[in-house]
Formats: sequence, structure tokens, C-alpha cells
Amino acid sequence: MDQPSQPQRGGPLDLRMGISERGKNCETCKKALADCPGHFGYVKLELPVFHVGYFKHSVNILQVVCKECSNVLLENPDKIKFIKQMRSKTDPHQKLAIWKTIITQCKKVKKCPHCEAHNGTVKKMPNFPTRIIHDKYKGAKGTDQDELIQDFAHVFTLNNNIESSLRSSYEELDPQKVYNIFQRIKDEDVVIFYMDQNLCKPIDMLITHIPVPPVPIRPSVAVSSSTTNEDDLTVKMAEIIQLNNLIKISIDEGLAPNKLIEDWILLQYTIAQYFNSETPGLPHNLLGNKQIRALSQRLKGKHGRFRQNLSGKRVDFTGRTVISPDPNCGIDEVMIPIYIAKNLTFPERVNQYNIEKLRNLVRIGPDVHPGANYVESLDGNKVLLQYANRRKTAEELQIGDIVERHLENGDVVLFNRQPSLHRVSIMAHKARVMPSRTLRFNECVCTPYNADFDGDEMNIHLPQSEEARAEARILMDVKQNLLIPRSGEPLIAPTQDFLTSSYLITQKDFFLNRNEFMRICAYFWDANERIEIPPPTIYKPVELWTGKQIFNVLLRPNRKSNVYVNTVVKERNYTGQGEHMCPNDGWVIFQNSELICGNLCKTTMGSGSKTGLFYSLQRDNSVEVAAQCMLRVAKFSARWISNYGMSIGISDVTPFEVLIQEKQKLLDAGYVNCDKLIDQYKKGDLVLKAGCNPEQTLESYLNGELSKIRDKAGEILKSKLPKHNSPLIMAICGSKGSNINLCQMIALVGQQTVNGQRMPNGFFDRSLPHFEPYSKYPASKGFVKNSFYTGLTATEFFFHTIGGREGLVDTAVKTAETGYMQRRLMKALEDLSVKYDDTVRTSTEHVIQFQYGDDGLDPMFMDDNSLPVSLKRLMIMIKENTKQTSKVINEDVLLPFQVVEFKNKIKENCPVKNVSLKFIEQLKDFIQTIINQIAKQRKDLGLKDGLNQIPTLQELKNERKDKVVQKLLRNFTFLTQSQLDDFSTLVWLKYRRAQIQPGEAVGAVAAQSIGEPGTQMTLKTFHFAGVASMNVTLGVPRIKEIINATKEISTPIITARLVNDVDLISARIVKGRIEKTILGDIAKYIKEVYTPRGCFLEVKLDLKAITALKLELTINEVKTAILKTPKIKVKEKNIEIFDERKLHIQPFDTTRDNMYFSMQQLKNMLPSVSVKGIPTVLRAVISKQEQDQAKHLLLVEGYGLKEVMSTPGIDFRYTKSNHVIETEQVLGIEAARQTIINEIQYTMQSHGMNIDPRHIQLLADIMTFKGQVLGITRFGVSKMKNSTLMLASFEMTTDHLYDSAVHCKKDDITGVSECIIMGNLIPIGTGLFKVVYDETLQKEEQPGLLISNENENEDLIFDGINDVIENQKMLIDS
Amino acid sequence: MSDKDYQSDGDDNFDENDSQNEEDRLQILEADEVAAGGGENDEFAVGKKKQATERITSSFMTKYEKARVLGTRALQISKNAPLMIQPLPGECDPYKLAERELNERRIPFIIRRYLPDGTYEDWKLSELTY
Repeated sequence: MDQPSQPQRGGPLDLRMGISERGKNCETCKKALADCPGHFGYVKLELPVFHVGYFKHSVNILQVVCKECSNVLLENPDKIKFIKQMRSKTDPHQKLAIWKTIITQCKKVKKCPHCEAHNGTVKKMPNFPTRIIHDKYKGAKGTDQDELIQDFAHVFTLNNNIESSLRSSYEELDPQKVYNIFQRIKDEDVVIFYMDQNLCKPIDMLITHIPVPPVPIRPSVAVSSSTTNEDDLTVKMAEIIQLNNLIKISIDEGLAPNKLIEDWILLQYTIAQYFNSETPGLPHNLLGNKQIRALSQRLKGKHGRFRQNLSGKRVDFTGRTVISPDPNCGIDEVMIPIYIAKNLTFPERVNQYNIEKLRNLVRIGPDVHPGANYVESLDGNKVLLQYANRRKTAEELQIGDIVERHLENGDVVLFNRQPSLHRVSIMAHKARVMPSRTLRFNECVCTPYNADFDGDEMNIHLPQSEEARAEARILMDVKQNLLIPRSGEPLIAPTQDFLTSSYLITQKDFFLNRNEFMRICAYFWDANERIEIPPPTIYKPVELWTGKQIFNVLLRPNRKSNVYVNTVVKERNYTGQGEHMCPNDGWVIFQNSELICGNLCKTTMGSGSKTGLFYSLQRDNSVEVAAQCMLRVAKFSARWISNYGMSIGISDVTPFEVLIQEKQKLLDAGYVNCDKLIDQYKKGDLVLKAGCNPEQTLESYLNGELSKIRDKAGEILKSKLPKHNSPLIMAICGSKGSNINLCQMIALVGQQTVNGQRMPNGFFDRSLPHFEPYSKYPASKGFVKNSFYTGLTATEFFFHTIGGREGLVDTAVKTAETGYMQRRLMKALEDLSVKYDDTVRTSTEHVIQFQYGDDGLDPMFMDDNSLPVSLKRLMIMIKENTKQTSKVINEDVLLPFQVVEFKNKIKENCPVKNVSLKFIEQLKDFIQTIINQIAKQRKDLGLKDGLNQIPTLQELKNERKDKVVQKLLRNFTFLTQSQLDDFSTLVWLKYRRAQIQPGEAVGAVAAQSIGEPGTQMTLKTFHFAGVASMNVTLGVPRIKEIINATKEISTPIITARLVNDVDLISARIVKGRIEKTILGDIAKYIKEVYTPRGCFLEVKLDLKAITALKLELTINEVKTAILKTPKIKVKEKNIEIFDERKLHIQPFDTTRDNMYFSMQQLKNMLPSVSVKGIPTVLRAVISKQEQDQAKHLLLVEGYGLKEVMSTPGIDFRYTKSNHVIETEQVLGIEAARQTIINEIQYTMQSHGMNIDPRHIQLLADIMTFKGQVLGITRFGVSKMKNSTLMLASFEMTTDHLYDSAVHCKKDDITGVSECIIMGNLIPIGTGLFKVVYDETLQKEEQPGLLISNENENEDLIFDGINDVIENQKMLIDS
Repeated sequence: MSDKDYQSDGDDNFDENDSQNEEDRLQILEADEVAAGGGENDEFAVGKKKQATERITSSFMTKYEKARVLGTRALQISKNAPLMIQPLPGECDPYKLAERELNERRIPFIIRRYLPDGTYEDWKLSELTY
């Protein structure tokens, strides 16, 4: 660069390649900065160099090819065979496998079959990233090298020593040589290298010309007027050009070859660095202080092109601000500040219907809220309304113009909070513009976003087209997402205060007079509907209503309303007996939308239960009704509780006298027990737990004893605290806090733990210096006997912070871990969807499941017991709704045999396709129980049961006449034909609704359903299986192990069923066969014996111990076990069996010098000789079966499933391992799949997480569908998928790109990632099909509606069933 | 608001119209071929379109189909396409209009469902239950 302002011609900033500075024009296209896209240049290299990305493949090809004649190192028939294979296969994975076999086969070839030249192994020169060596004479005879030595004959005359080193020398294959070799490769051979003769030949892998990227992608940044900062690429390119010129000079002027080679190598390094600055092995002096951002670094990683700019993009029309709660805001609404509303615009096209409305908005302009910011006319002119003549613009508005109007009430916006872990993290809300500065929404919708209002911010997006709005409205609406697809449980439901007020007002002793009742009714009403006040519960002396009646009004305000709820819930404070007579009023019954009994707490009102009020509201009525009722609860609660007053003060947490005494008693008793245990431990007569040493046993006993104290104190609190105690109320109804929180505030904080253990020793032999060394007493190991009210002592406080810190660290570590897990799951599962033939396939049409989840049902619509319809609830609903209709009253009661007829024809009469046989069976079972009930009832009444004995017509007539019998028959379990028909209609209607719809992105949903709960999993990494001490890894680490398909898991456990599982003795015998026993365990002593004749080690077996352990062990077996032990070097003759319990073993080396040492060595080795059992098994524990406590089973810790299964006494049919990979090796891929499913489900369930099995099945299927277990890791995923773009956007970006370049791969852009990168429509969901214009429609007559509107009912109250059926039908729409 | 207007309007604005027209032509071609071959035995050889009688997919409209149909129709209406129903006075939300058209079964669309074997099925909206 001569002048700072004028880049050099031919240099890296040549103006012909584009410009990066304002005011200049490109010399190629003459355009200015904004318009010139830039133009590529190139530099012709004087000598070829290797390309770092293709280096490995170059080495491989050199390995396969003769270095003299460039023929493939294969005999012709072999070669033809491989060419045929390569051509016939289309799957890249198979092709790669062929290529790998070719490489291994060619490695064995020593001499070229075509030209007889020597060929050896080719490899990278160690410590040099871009140099290749060829060990030409490897494995060849010494005489073969003679020709080489001949060449150097004259050198030997000068230096003799050279010959020996020459024989071990390598040939370097420099790029020029390789270029020549590659050039000679025949076109027809190219296919063998898994390349393409037309697109990518081996010679293309060498760089002869290096492209210089356009200037605009590496702009110079002006620091001051004269100096500029150049991009890393520009700097490197300048270096490359400089070096290239040096080489040119060297060649032209014939300078010393070593200088030339030095420059050449440096050029290679520089070019390698230009491509990838992290190339391993580059010399340090070249790297400089800072890593440069080379081409590879621009693409790679989280901030690389792929993930930052291609898979995700910044968007316009968004807003972000702090959120706040608003109970007056509809469930599906969000309140948006005017300021934001004025900035977010929607481009509404002018048409005949809206032209007047838009004219008005244009006139208002950008400053006042419902206005508009821009008008874009048909010819493309865009008018900024701020400065335009708005009246004129409005007048001139034409159909087809686009008005960018402000966001207005009712617009659909997407609302989102990060981290977006599952699909309900982004939902569509209806906008409501409000004067405030925050985004406000109903608290019920906090759960899906995982939001609170301590300063959280959230984002809104305004969809910009009618299509986007419609999709958002139908698919992403809050009302469509009241249930979580993970398990089908309600997710959006009243929380916190809403629960508290529901609980308080439904107390048995809560009454309202007329004024109060009316006021509360008005609280939740918008004065837009008629309310019919129910009759008061108490008439005299004053009219009083119960709080429960509020809910009756809330659910069904008047007789015209067709909201029907029938549900029975066991509340969390249910005492467990008496049902509706429960003293706590914990048995909740809703009958015909009337709250009969029970106080409403979290189980009824809250999320996470499939029996709750809002669940049945939306299942049996509609989502609109559920949303409406939820809003009413919110409005009522917010107003009522702020008037009622719910507060917490110091008096709420002051312990009362009884408690103080009880607590002291508990503490004293607990301490005494602990002291006893510690004493026993010190004396050594502690009864050990199975598989535990004394320390572990003591710890586990003490931990149990101490945690009991807090639990008991909690119980006392729960029963003794006054009913009006606010924390207690909140704990009971589940709105906030738990028993533990109560207990910690009022009674005592309890034992502090780290890793599930009591406090570890942070100092020498003690936890804190305040205590005696080796102290095991409660207080010195983290037991806090004070409460937060009484205040903690210094040491207690310290222990408490330690315990608290663990939680903090855990969350910090886990978020990173689960985030990555989520990403990997998503990448592996993203492109799975249900196709129109009901199969689940990848985007490449690989079948993953023939029917989703084996029954084609949507997890989101699963009612209880993973049935698509809750048969019991449905039957109750039908009966309740119809029992007083005239139709049913006038109908005959069905006899059991008539129902049997119906039952037998279920399958034939089923109107739905692809019904799972399992469901039909369950339906039949259900009908059978009803049949039995009716039959039993008839029998009890002394009638013929109608099942085995069929009553005659006369008898039936008599029955009908007898009014008492009729009344009794119609009392409880009667059924009429119309009821049965309704039942059948509804069952199939609901079943149809629960079937999965083609297009559903089941993979993505599964990934979220497994990944999202991962983030919620807290601590609790271990769990005891069966008896104590058999630890199983749980939580995120375990999920990670399973998903990664880790080879070595931290707690492998084999669960083995015994052939004789009743007898403990036989169980012990089998245990002895399996558990690894070492000689040290069963030897009484091992002593050295020195006699004049020699010396030996005497081993005496402890026969008592052997019989006690039920080991089947003889002295001979011990002998063979010792002989088999590796490295022990004892020969058969050295071991002498002295008697049945003594062995004499002579050391192997009895020379005078070494005898002592070999004795000692032997003595050290002998105790660890494994004499019995499976060496890979660490230990085995006999445990009791969960279902049947009398039966035993064997838990085996360690590997060796095959060995355990083949052990006599083990029932191999019921023996399984929790190790996926081992199961695959021993039992095969299907067993491995089942293990994955079982283990994930088990882990999730032990954390209280409920996940539909279908999601886990899908994950297991994607891990096993290739016939081997593939982990969801970079290696596994690259074996599952073919798309380069998808793999590049996942991990190892550049490797995948280079690979694809070499192998000429094609990407057909069908997957999700690829489509996003390319900006295509994704072929999932709404992209699975096409919409075509139907020309015939206009000619046809208007077809009748499926759902008729002839639904005008005379009978107002009790013909609800029609309404319900209508409701259900309408639901299909939504 | 003649038919011609409607057609041309659609052509300008409807994203997939080009490909659609092409496919429509294909469809006609294939239909001719079927007629010529009279094909019973060579259904695979003849063409990719399945005959309506052997449609295997469900006759229920999926929520995705509903979303797409309503979205597409709302877009058309917003671009001043002639309505197939009588608009109520003051009704101007294209989505609401489209929804009403759908409920009255007046949306002139065919849903072309692609199966993994490369064939597709055409379902008129009037044939679908929703």
C-alpha cells in the first residue's frame, strides 16, 4: 500500500474486488458501497499446497493409490467389485463404510499389482500439520531397499554412517509430488475414493489457486484519517501473497532449495491458518498472541454463521419490557403499552371491507394510538405519515394499498419468555392496548412461561401476514394450550392467591348474607350475562349463602348456560376416610356444576391433576368455558381476598407453649437415640445394613433418626396450629409453601445435608473447629435444632449456608448441562412428524414408527390411565345429565344381557378407523363391570339377574308394575338404550379427537417433553433401590447417561429373579455364585513360613465364613483360582494342598537374591485373588420384591449381564440390566430399546415427573432405529441424519462441510434445520400438504352443514346431554 | 367481481399459484393417461395420483389444514378477493370472514395431501369433516 488512501492494485484490497469505504466506487461494477456485492479475486500459487480440510482424505487416497503409477492398489476383480458396490449404494453411510474397507484392504498391499512398485503406509508427519510421509519399504525385505541404496552409493563413500539411517528413512510426499500422483489417477477410479469424477476429483483437493474473498466480507475499519484496521483475513491474505512472491523469486533466481522449502512450508502453514486458525500443530511463533478469526471460525460455534445468522435471525416488529400480573386480563389476552402499540405495525391491505376504517386510521396518523405509520401504494411508493398530508393520503387510499397501522385490540401477538424450553414458551395472545409501561397478563399463564414478576422481561412479536395470524390463532392460542403435551395435564390453572381464596371461601363455616353474596357475584361478572341467584342455604333467622354457592354461580350463572361439570376429587387435605363426611371437608364433589361438598385446594383448582375442575371443564365442555371460568376465579379472587385480608406476621410463626414442649421432648428422645447408636458404633456392635460398612450404617441410621424429628414436628404443627394461621392455610391449600417451610419457621430447621449426607468434614476430622475431632453428634454434623424464629447459632448458621450453597451450585451447573441436552435432543428429533399414512418418519422418509406410540393417539388428549377417554367420568356425566329427561324416564331399563349384546358388537360398530385393540379391550372390560353391577343389583333385589337367568316377559311386566322395584332399579346403576347410545357416540367422538393428526411434529414435542423436565430436576442425584446402600444414579446425570448411550455408566445394576425366590438360603447360595469373593475375604490368615528346606506362604481358609456365606468353594477351586490369576506367576507344582483348609504356596523365584522379594510380592497379591464369582461384579444384595415382600430377588452391582443370566439358580427370563449398551450386546436391540424406555421413565418418575410413554418411546426409537444404539451425541446424530446443513448447524461444522465437499454430497433440504437455513417452508404441520383452487365449488349447491343449528331446546334444564354432544362436536373445530 | 377478476387476483397474490398451475396441468395429463391406459393393473406405472376411491387418509380435517386453509383464505380476502358469502354489515376482519366461509363450506379449496410414497390425494373441503 503506497498511499494510505489508495490500495495497491493486485493487493488484498484491490478496488476491483469491491470496496469497504464510503464515497468510493467499485472498479468492477462501478457501484457504491451499499450496492456493490463485492467480487472474488484469486492468487495463483507458485507451488501447490495441501488444503487442511481435505488433508485427511488426501492421505487416505495416497494410501489407496500407487505412488508410482497412480493405480488403485487393488487387483482388477476387487477393484471392479468395489466400483460396483459404490455405484449401487445411495446411502452415504454405506458408501463411507465401503470406502473404509477399501482403505484397510489397501493398507495390506505392499507392492502395486500394476507396476510392482513398493508401497507402504502413508501418514501425516508427526508434529507437522501439513506434511505427509510415506514409509515405502515398510514390511518389505531388506534386499528390496537395495535399489534405493544403490542410488546413494556415492554418498557412502563420503560418509559410512548414512547407510543404516537410510534403511529406516521415509519418503516425504510434498504437495507437488502428490499433485503429480493425483493428476495421473484415472477418471474411472475416482468413484472408488467415494468422490465424483465430474464434480470433485482427488486433484481438486490441492490448492493451486487461492480465492481472495470480496472486500465487503472483510471490511477495513478506519481508526483515524490515515490508518485503518484490517480484517484478519486481509492480513493473512497479504502474508500469503508475500510468501508466494518470495517463492516465485526463489524459483526464478534459483536460490538455495532449503530456503525455498522453508518458505513453501511456511506458505502451507499460513494458508492452513487462513482456513482454520485452530489447526492443531501449527508452530507457536506463527500463531501470534491472539487467535485470528479465520474462515472456519466464521462458521463454527454458537456465534458462527450457522447458528447465529442462518438458524436464527433477528426480526423486526417485536417488543420487550417488564411483565406484571393482571387478574382482570383474560387468560388469552396480553395488555400492551400504548407506546409499544404505536411502534408495532401490521401491514393491512386495503380492500372494499376495510377501506373506511383504514382511511380513518391514516387520518389519525402515527402519534395517537389507533392510527397508522406508513402507507405503501400499489406502485411501491411508501409514505411516512408523520410528515405527509394525512387527509390527502387518506382520500387517495386505493384498494390494494398497504397501510401499516398500529397494533390494535384483538390483534394476535406472540408472547414469549426465554428460555424457550417447550412449545408453550411461545403462545399467541390477543392484544389489548393499555396505558401502562409493562406487559400484563393473567397470573394463571405464568406456569407455561415459567415467569414471575420479580423483574422478568418478556417479548412480543406481531405476525405480519394474515396467514401467520391464522396459524398463530389456531395452533398457538393460549386456549389451545391449557394442557401440556408432555402428559396431558392442565398447565394453565389458578395459582397462589387464587387457590387461597378458593380454599377460604369454600370452608364449611363460611357464610354470606345477601349483600355479600351479590357483591361477590358482581366481582367476577362483566355485566354481560344474566345471573340467577341460587336459593339461600339458610333462610332463617337471616338468609345466608355458603361460599360454595359462589362457585355454583361462577360455573353456571343461569339455567340457559350449558356448562356441566361432574367430577370427584380427593383433595390434598382429605383424611382418607369417610368420603363426603371427611372432617377436613377434603372430598370434593361437583355434580351438575354444583359444588356439593369439599373445600377447593390445589388438586381441584390447580395444575397437574387430571381430575381437577378445569380439566373436566375443558374436556367435557370447551376450552372457551374453561378459560372463562378461570378468568372469573381470578377476578373474584383478586377482589375478594384483598378485602378479606390475607397477611403474615411474627405472631404467625411464634411457637406456642405446647409446641415448645413437644419439640423439646422430640429433641431429647432423638438425641438419646443418636447417642445410643453412636455408642453401639464405638463398641462395634452396630447391626450392619446389607452391603454397608459401620460408618455408612451409622450415618444412615442417624440421618433417619434426625429427619424423623423434623417430620414429627411438622405433624404436630399441622394438627395444633390454629386454623386461621396464614402460613398453615397456604400450606394446606397448596398455594405456597409446604409443611417443611412451616416447620423451619416455627419449630426447627432440621438436618442440613450435602450430597444427601450429613455435613462433611471441612477441617481435620471435624466439620467445624468448634467441635471435638471425630464427633458424630447431631449438632456437630449439621443438625439445626433452632427455628428461623428462635434464631440460629453461629455453627448452625454456617451449616445452613453450606446446605444452601449446594442448591445454588447445583442449579448453576444443571442449567448449562440441561440446556445442552435439550439442544441435542432437539437436533436429533426435530424432523420427525406424523405423515398422512399415520407413520412417523424423518424428513428423509425413514420410518421410525409405523403408528405413533403403537396406537396413534395424541399424548395431549390422554384422559386418565392413558386412555383417550375417561370411561368412568363419561358414564357418570351421561347419567347425571340424562337421568331426569323425559326420554330416559319413559324408557325401559336395560337388562344385563342386552348390554352384553352391545358389548359384543363394539368392534363391528366402531365408526373410527385404526382403533387400538387395547382400547377396545378396555372398553369391553368397562362395560362388563357395569353389566356385573346391574346383574348384582337385580340379584340383590331378588330378581333374576338377566345375565345367567333371563326373566320371562311376564316377569318383566310385573317388574314394571311394581313401583318400589322400579324405583330401586333406577336408583343407582341403571342404564337405558338411549344412554348407551349416547355413551357410544361420545366415546368414539372423543377417541377420534384423541387420534394424532398428520403433520404433528411429534419429534419436537418429545424432545421438549424430555428436555424441559430436565431443567426442573433438582438435586437428589441418588436413590436407594430396594434395600439401603444400593445406590442408583438419578436426575440429570442419569438422563445424560441414557441419552448419550454411555459405555460406562456410574451405577450399573442387574436385577435378577431367582428360580427359587422364596428360600433365603438358596438366595444366599446364588449370591455366592455371583458375587466376587477374594481370597482375603475367606482366608483366616496368610503367613510366611520359612523352613530349612525352603519357604512358602501358608493360606488357611476360614471354613466357617465360607459356610456362613454359603459359598460353594473347595480348596481345589481356590488352587485353580490362584493359578488362573494373571501376573501371579505361580506354577501348578508350586501349590501344595496341605489339608482341606490349608494351602502351601511356594514363590516362583527361589534364588537366594530374590526369594524374599518374591515372597513379599506374592503375599501382597494373594488376598486380592478372586476365588469365586463373576470378576466384573462388585457386589450383590438380596432384596425383596416390590410387589411381593415374601419373594426375593438379587440386585447385582456391576457389569456382566450374560454371566449373571447363565448362573445356575437365576431365572434368566426375568433378569435385566439398567445398562443400555450391555443389554444391547447381550439381549439385542429391542431389549435395548425397552431398557431406554424403562430407565428414562423410572428416572423421571422418581423425580415426580409425569411424562407420557409415547414421547420416551419415540426417543428410544430414534436411538435404535438404525439397528444399533446411537447416543444423542455428535457421533450418534451424524449417523442418524444425512443432511449436511443440519449436521453443520449442529456440531463440527467445518468437518461436515469438508466431508460433503469431498464426497459430493447432495442435500435435498427437507429437514427442519435445512429449511430454516434456506428460508423454505418446513414440510411439517401446515407445510405437509398443498392447497389447490377448487374450480367446481361455485357450480355446486351449498352443501348442508355437518353440525346442524336445529338445537332449540324446550326443556331448559335437563336435556343437557344434547348440549354436551354439541359441545364435543364443536370441540373438534378447535 | 367476475370470475375472471378472481382468477387474476389469485394469480398475482397466491404464493403457490405457479407451481399449482403446473401441477394442475400435470393432473390433467395424468388423468388422460389413466383414461388411455384404462389402467386397473398398472396403477403404479400410470401416474402418481391416486384415484379418489382408494384414498386412505382420514376424512377429518387436521388442525394444520384448518389453519392453512383459513390463513390462505384470509389472505385472499384481505387482498380483496370476492367473498363466497354475504358479509354482515361492518364485518371486515378477513379471518372472521374466512372462518364463516369455512363454516358454511364455501371455501373453494382442495387439500392436496402428500403421502410418503410420492403419491398424493386430493380432498375437497366439502368432502372433509371439521
